[in-house]
Amino acid sequence: MVKENLCVQIAGLGSRDEVVMNDLQWIQSAKNGDEDAYAELVRRHSGGLHRTVARILADDTEAWDVVQMAFLKAWQKLDRYNPRFSFTTWLYRIGTNLAIDLLRSRTSRERAHKAGTEHRLRLVGSGEGAGARADSTEATNVLQQLVEVLTPQQRSAFVLREMEGLETAEVAEVLGCSATTVRNHIFQARKALRRELKARFPEYLPASERG
Amino acid sequence: MNCEIFRDSIGSYVDETLEEDRRLWFRTHLRECPTCREEALREEPSLLFAMAPASQSEPEAVEACVAAVMGRIRQDRLKRRLLQRRRPWFAAAAAAIIAIGGGLTWRSVIGGGSGTQESVVASAKGSELQRSPPTVEVEMAGEEVRVYQFANDEDSDTAVYFIVDPALEL
Repeated sequence: MVKENLCVQIAGLGSRDEVVMNDLQWIQSAKNGDEDAYAELVRRHSGGLHRTVARILADDTEAWDVVQMAFLKAWQKLDRYNPRFSFTTWLYRIGTNLAIDLLRSRTSRERAHKAGTEHRLRLVGSGEGAGARADSTEATNVLQQLVEVLTPQQRSAFVLREMEGLETAEVAEVLGCSATTVRNHIFQARKALRRELKARFPEYLPASERG
Repeated sequence: MNCEIFRDSIGSYVDETLEEDRRLWFRTHLRECPTCREEALREEPSLLFAMAPASQSEPEAVEACVAAVMGRIRQDRLKRRLLQRRRPWFAAAAAAIIAIGGGLTWRSVIGGGSGTQESVVASAKGSELQRSPPTVEVEMAGEEVRVYQFANDEDSDTAVYFIVDPALEL
């Protein structure tokens, strides 16, 4: 499924295809009632799913709850899993839907509070430049603005596409919408973020842009 | 050369028209080249978020998640098993309660109008009856199932059944 960030790195396994094959083997065993096999699937995928959900919710702790719920739901529906699709895509669909439901159920005040107090957005970069400054508490404020200005669907699409590096078709599959809708979500999200960054966080922009 | 290609690709990346395999290269270069990053952010500030790393979760947190999920799965399985095994005993207990209840009703009807009053009075005195120690009877009633019967010495009409499966005891 995944090009970069979502790719599961297993020691001793050389390619993504091998990982997917092993996933299918574990799933088959789990379907036959092998709980240890399912535990292995949880071990492989919980970290990646947590990172994605935490970015959508802007809350590390709550994200673990959602991850647990997603794996429980996946276990209960394991008989309905279609091996033609990636297990990761199926799992991320369950997790993302739970995260979207949670975002919708929160009040805007709760969202702002949680984003402002608990989440840390980790961005790479070293030396001079905006990227280097991004890995700071200021990034938390940027994420807080994300919660305020983006709808749950826009936020999920943007995180999956821009931060996790999924292909458009994969994001569409996870969110259960068309590729055109995904592109529209990304476009709207980028537009809102561009506006917010310029207006509220000019320090993230290059010196020539800050005015 | 790479930087030149990168800068030419910024527009198509943002417009979602850059080929998928080129996007991965674009994002990698964005992270690794400070000069191009500066240029890209000047053109499109929201590219800041494309630099988010694939941070790994703490192994302890992952193991805690595995334990929590598998614990819930096992708990659900035990609950289902217990419910399935209890079903026939629940039916038997329900039949016994109906029989006892029917017997009490019959007695009160046979005993006339005052019988009802007597049962109300008896209920009011329930707390007094509970003071005396209950009788405990244990019997093996089927494979892997023990039935505990608690009955009050002073009230032979009332009985409570507890059904325990030793295999499910923690």
